[in-house]
Amino acid sequence: MVDLNTISPKNGRNYYIALGLEGSANKLGIGIVKHPIKSQLSSGDNSHQCDAQILSNIRDTYITPPGEGFLPRDTARHHRNWCVRLIKKALKEAGFNDPSNDIDVICFTKGPGMGAPLHSVAIIARTCSLLWDIPLVGVNHCIGHIEMGREITKAENPVVLYVSGGNTQVIAYSENRYRIFGETLDVAIGNCLDRFARTLKIPNHPSPGYNIEQLALKCQNKDKLIELPYTVKGMDLSMSGILAYIDSLAKDLFRGNKQNKLLFDKKTGKQKVTIEDLCYSLQENLFAMLIEITERAMAHVNSSTVLIVGGVGCNVRLQEMMAVMCHDRANGKVFATDDRFCIDNGAMIAQAGLLQFRMGDIVKDLKETIVTQKFRTDEVFVSWREK
Amino acid sequence: MSQEIIDIVQNYLTPNIPITLVSQGAEAVVFTTHVHPYLPQDSNKTGETKYIIKYRPHKKYRHPVIDQQLTKKRTLGESRLLAKLYQIDGLKVPKLIACDQYNGCIWLEFLGSQLPDNNGFSNLKHFLWWNKADPYNNVVKESLLKVGQQIGILHWNDYVHGDLTSSNIVMVQDKLGVNVWNPHLIDFGLGGVSNMVEDKGVDLYVLERAIISTHSAFSDQYVEWIMQGFSQVYEQHGATGEKKLKELLKRFHEVRMRGRKRTMIG
Amino acid sequence: MIQTTIPQFPDFTLKISLFKDVINSAEIRSKIADYPFAFIDAKTICSVEQLMAALYRVFIEKNYNRIRTKSLTSECLLCLAPTSNIGEAFRRFGLKDDTKEVICVQIIPTEDLPLDEVDISSLIDGFEVDMNDEHLKQFCDKNIIREIYKFDASFQPNSIEEVTRAVVSAIQLRGM
Repeated sequence: MVDLNTISPKNGRNYYIALGLEGSANKLGIGIVKHPIKSQLSSGDNSHQCDAQILSNIRDTYITPPGEGFLPRDTARHHRNWCVRLIKKALKEAGFNDPSNDIDVICFTKGPGMGAPLHSVAIIARTCSLLWDIPLVGVNHCIGHIEMGREITKAENPVVLYVSGGNTQVIAYSENRYRIFGETLDVAIGNCLDRFARTLKIPNHPSPGYNIEQLALKCQNKDKLIELPYTVKGMDLSMSGILAYIDSLAKDLFRGNKQNKLLFDKKTGKQKVTIEDLCYSLQENLFAMLIEITERAMAHVNSSTVLIVGGVGCNVRLQEMMAVMCHDRANGKVFATDDRFCIDNGAMIAQAGLLQFRMGDIVKDLKETIVTQKFRTDEVFVSWREK
Repeated sequence: MSQEIIDIVQNYLTPNIPITLVSQGAEAVVFTTHVHPYLPQDSNKTGETKYIIKYRPHKKYRHPVIDQQLTKKRTLGESRLLAKLYQIDGLKVPKLIACDQYNGCIWLEFLGSQLPDNNGFSNLKHFLWWNKADPYNNVVKESLLKVGQQIGILHWNDYVHGDLTSSNIVMVQDKLGVNVWNPHLIDFGLGGVSNMVEDKGVDLYVLERAIISTHSAFSDQYVEWIMQGFSQVYEQHGATGEKKLKELLKRFHEVRMRGRKRTMIG
Repeated sequence: MIQTTIPQFPDFTLKISLFKDVINSAEIRSKIADYPFAFIDAKTICSVEQLMAALYRVFIEKNYNRIRTKSLTSECLLCLAPTSNIGEAFRRFGLKDDTKEVICVQIIPTEDLPLDEVDISSLIDGFEVDMNDEHLKQFCDKNIIREIYKFDASFQPNSIEEVTRAVVSAIQLRGM
């Protein structure tokens, strides 16, 4: 039996307020989420319909120049520089001026992610907690994505495809854990796209993946596809080989290496392939693999719904392909969110953290607020869902 | 299941071959039928014999070029592999009956049965669930040792499966022993020839992960038994076998560690 | 004689007969192009399943317009073979001058069946026997089959069923 209403909100209110702080990668996100007390939440598996209201959800992204990735130290500095401004702004947006009275819980990302940025945000969380005397909850970043996605889309028990800069996982819920059915054996999809974007020296704003998507749309030879390795292994996949190969193609293209007959005509030396073609082929190939492993997991657990979360989940082509796949399965349906919730944000940390808080899972000692770079999705005991 | 795909297959097979849908896997739709594709029906085979028809439908979500390549590669790959694997002593795989490479359709011998008391079809997944009340009983142990041996024989002969899960192992009841089960490996669409330790290590890792996610509570013991059976095959081959086994297990461990380490940067 | 159709290809009917003690193989060979039959040396066939697997393949090839020989009957010989060398297939599976046991396959459009009046036994000087596994097993030569289908030395079949299984795979996978 899951009862989400046992912990009373502050000051006899009939709603909870959570402040969420996210900074596991290059985005600093602050979100404030409100949950009304709902009688349906006293029993059953209803944690996906909390009637959550997003009172504010703001984000600042640390953008690096084209051709450069973000380094932990610089990213952490960015987060430290912006956190106070962002928290103030979020509180103002939500209409709060007395945090210690208004907020029930502060939620922060415990991991996984880059050490230094995670650490900066944890310090901010601790400071706010001590300053305002509000309990803390440490949240698994991936669980944040999943719970936000479920709440927004009302998908009850979907197979989750989690695709972001650092993660590529196919997840399904069973017996109080989000279990990982398939994942990348090497680099993550977002990382793969980011690194290719760096080779192409295209802007990192608003995100490298978005810019690759736009280039792919401009591809003129959609009938022809550059053949890339297709490396699905069971429900897992491998992307490093594909990245290395397409990287070498792009470099040959820039260098004008006429020896490469795939790129240049053997006789005339005319260029046959454009950057747009490369982006298109890369996306088609990688996404086909993602959809396939998702479908494998769906077949394995006998599910017909999919929820896509994580930054790469904003990609319209990926959503489109997923929808087609689901359509061909019985009553299949795909759920996705837009960039406000797909891309790392504070509200998702608040949402998952608030569920944890309502089950009484709070930090009892500041020692527990240590962050961790490695924190697997299936390590979290999901107390707020029915077994 | 999309009716559209069933219609396509029924239309291809003509009404002379009535089909029953068994499963819609990720890349193939599987049907059963009582009609043999070419043997005259009145020959001494009984009409009770079932056959598997495995059809790889066109996947509209992926680019036609990728789709055609994969369908062809996997239909041929699987057929070819089954033909070769059959000749390996001790390895149990379904018999290939027919292959229409142009349409991604293959016919196979039907293996397995329904487990007692509505416990579903006798793949390893259902078999283990069926034994959940007494998860570590001797029949389970013996069966998992044999599962390991099958994979061991496969790897020893330089083949990999590519998609080892508890759904892709079918338990066939022994003709002589009531509670003796012989595991058969099925679904070789992602399989192939490989003498690389990496491929074999990944194969084992994929299976371990599948066991953990589907049979979480008992996975440690299950995997241990499978690995025990697996090792037996290599150990039979003396010093060379031991050496190869050591190398393989080391890589298996490495692949697993890579998996754990991977969770970085949200 | 077996008269049958392949379920997936009901538009054609197959008539398959088996003869032993045939003495006019050389004569048949000399006129082979005139006959709408496939004549097969029974030494090369170990079971009904082997032959039917090849006939199934004939229709699959026909279905996709990939017939490579002159007619459906000649395609039978090619489809029995493990390789796509037409000449070799004819040589291996076709009649030799001294062939004693002969399999004769006729492929007739099902709608023309009532009109079919060809009497196969008038062409062949020999005794017709039941076309079944028992006779085929008796007439076949395992060593020839082994050679034609190039079995691995390590493959030592214990029964005709095992030979059939290996041969059927080879037939289905030719050219792949």
